[in-house]
Amino acid sequence: MDRLLTLENQGKLKTSTMNRSVRKLSANMLALVGLALFLLILTASIAAPLISSYEPNAIDLKHRLSPPGETHLLGTDQIGRDIFTRILYGGRISMFVGLGSAIGAALIGVSLGTYAGYTRGVLDSAVMKLSEIMMSFPQIILVSILVTIAGQSLWNLILIFILTGWPSMYRMTRSQMLSIREQEYIQALQAFGIGSFTISFKHMLPNAIGPIFVNITLSTAMFILQEAALSFLGLGVPLEQATWGNILNVAQDLNILRNAWWVWLPVGVVITLFVMSVNFIGDGLRDAADPTQVG
Amino acid sequence: MVLVAIAAVTNTRGGRFMIPFIIRKVLVLIPMLFVISFLIFLGIELMPGDAVDFMIPPDALATISQADLDLLRAELGLDDPFLVRYGTWIAQVVKGDFGYSLQSGVSVRDLLAQKLPATIELSLAALVISTLLGSLLGVVSALNKGRLGDHVLTVAGMIGVAIPQFLFGLVMIVLVVFQMELLPVGGRMTPGNEAFFQRLDHLILPATVLGLSMTAGVMRYSRASMLDSLSKEFIRTARSKGIPEWRVNLIHGLRVAMTPVAVLIGFRLPILIGGSVVIEQVFQWPGVGQMFVAAVRSQNTPVIMMIAFFSVSIVLVASILVDIATALLDPRVKLS
Repeated sequence: MDRLLTLENQGKLKTSTMNRSVRKLSANMLALVGLALFLLILTASIAAPLISSYEPNAIDLKHRLSPPGETHLLGTDQIGRDIFTRILYGGRISMFVGLGSAIGAALIGVSLGTYAGYTRGVLDSAVMKLSEIMMSFPQIILVSILVTIAGQSLWNLILIFILTGWPSMYRMTRSQMLSIREQEYIQALQAFGIGSFTISFKHMLPNAIGPIFVNITLSTAMFILQEAALSFLGLGVPLEQATWGNILNVAQDLNILRNAWWVWLPVGVVITLFVMSVNFIGDGLRDAADPTQVG
Repeated sequence: MVLVAIAAVTNTRGGRFMIPFIIRKVLVLIPMLFVISFLIFLGIELMPGDAVDFMIPPDALATISQADLDLLRAELGLDDPFLVRYGTWIAQVVKGDFGYSLQSGVSVRDLLAQKLPATIELSLAALVISTLLGSLLGVVSALNKGRLGDHVLTVAGMIGVAIPQFLFGLVMIVLVVFQMELLPVGGRMTPGNEAFFQRLDHLILPATVLGLSMTAGVMRYSRASMLDSLSKEFIRTARSKGIPEWRVNLIHGLRVAMTPVAVLIGFRLPILIGGSVVIEQVFQWPGVGQMFVAAVRSQNTPVIMMIAFFSVSIVLVASILVDIATALLDPRVKLS
C-alpha cells in the first residue's frame, strides 16, 4: 500500500527536492483539504475590513433580524449588526484565543516536560503530581471557577486556558523524553560531560518536535470549542467583543433559535468547519511525522 | 463498582497481591483529596465579592447600615481567618455536612440530593448510548476497513468531534422539537406525569445529544482496538480451524477488543461531567450541571465548592476503579 515507496523505487521522485514527511503530508488528501479550509477562514478573517464594508459592532435598529439578502449577506442580528462581518471579525478573536492558548500552554508544558522528563527526580515527580491534580478536574468546572476568580476578559481567558492546558502538554513531552533518553546518543553526550540543560533542550527536544506540533494543532481546536462553550454559558469573552462563541450565545433565546436561523447556524457551521480543518491538519501531521505510517 | 470489588477479592491472582494493591491506591487518594479540597477552598477565597454582596438586592443595600452588614458577615462566619474557615469547612464535610446555599438557605446536601438523580439519569443514559453505539460502529468500521462504510463512519466521527456540543443540541431542538414537533423541550418531566416511562420523552433528546457527542471518541478507539485484535495470531488460528468468518470476528475478535473499550468508560467520566454541564444548560435539565452554572453566576460559594469537590472525587475514584479493572483483566500489569 505504500504508494510513495513504489514511486521512489521507480525513481519517479527526486529524493533531494522534498523531505519525505512533507511529501507524505502532501499526498494526504484530508490534510490538504483541511489546510485549504484553514487558510481560507484565516485569510478571510485577517482581511475582514477588505471583504466587508460594515463595522462588526455597528448597530442598525432599522434593520433588526433581517434575513440574508443583498445588503446583508448573512442577515443581521437582534440589534441590526451584520452577521457576516461579525463572523469575520469574531474569527480573529476566536483564532487568537485558540492559537495563543495552545502556544502558551505548549511553552510551559514543553519546557517543563523537556527538562523534567530528562532529569527525572524531584522536579519531575512534583510537576507530575500537580498535573495529575489539575487533570482530575473536569475542564469546564475548573475553567468556570477560574473565570469567576479572575474576571471575564479576553486576556484572562487566554491565561486560564494556558493554566489549565499545560498539564497535557507536559505529559506528552515527558513521555517522549522518557523514550528518547534511553537512546545511545544520549549516553554518548553524557559521557562528554555535557550539561543536562543542553542535552535535553538542544539534543533531545528537536527529536520530539513532531508530536509537539501535532498537539499544538489539536489543542488549538480544543480551545476554540471551549471558548464557544464558555461563551454559551455566559462565562467567556465579554459579550461586547465579537467572537464565534459570543455570536452563538444569542441562540439561547428560543425565539431567535426558532425564527432566525441565520444568526446562529452560519457561525456554528464556520466553527465546526474550522475545528475540523485543524483536526485534519493535526492528523495529517501525525501521520507524516510517524515513520511507521506508510504514505 | 460492586462487581469490581467482588472480582478483586475472589480473583485467583488477587488472593495475595490484589488487596494490598487496592489499599495502596486508596491510601494515595486520601491526601490527594485533601490537597484538592484545599485548592478549591483557596480558589473560592480569591473570588471577588462575598456572599453578603449577593444576598442583598442592590436597592435594599442603600438602606442597610454598614454595622448590619458586618453583623451578617460575622454571623455567616466570613470574618474568621482563612485557615480557620478551611478547618471548619473540611471538618463539616467529613461529617457529611456540606454547608448551606447562600441564596436559598437550603443545605447543599439537600440540594445535591434533589438534583443528583436528574444528572445521574442523564449521564447514565448518555454513557449507555455512547458505549453501545460507539463500540458497535467501531466494530462495523473495523470489519469494513478501507471500504465505503468505514470512510463514511470516519468522516461522521470527525464531524462529531468538531461540532460544539451545545450547537448540536440546538440543532436537534430546532429539528426535532420545532420542525417535527416530536418531543417536548425543557425540564425533566411534565407535572402530573412523573413515572419513569411518562418522562422518558423528556430524557430522549438530551441523552441522545450528550451520548452522540461522546460516541465519536469511543468509535475511534474501538475501531483501533478491533483492528489490533483482528491482526493477532489467535485469529489466524481460528480461521484456519474453519470457524465461520462471522464467528471469528464477533466471538474471538470482539471479546479481546472490548476489554480496553470497557476500561475507557472510566476515562470518559470527566468528559461526561463537563458535557452534562453544557447539555443541561441547553435543555434546561434540572440537574447538578445547571445548578453549577447558576451557582457560578451568583457566586454561591458553598454550592460551587461542593460540586467541584464531588466531581473531582468521582473522577479520582473512577480512575482507581479503572486501575483495578485493568490489573484484573490484564495479567501483564504489575501489582507491586
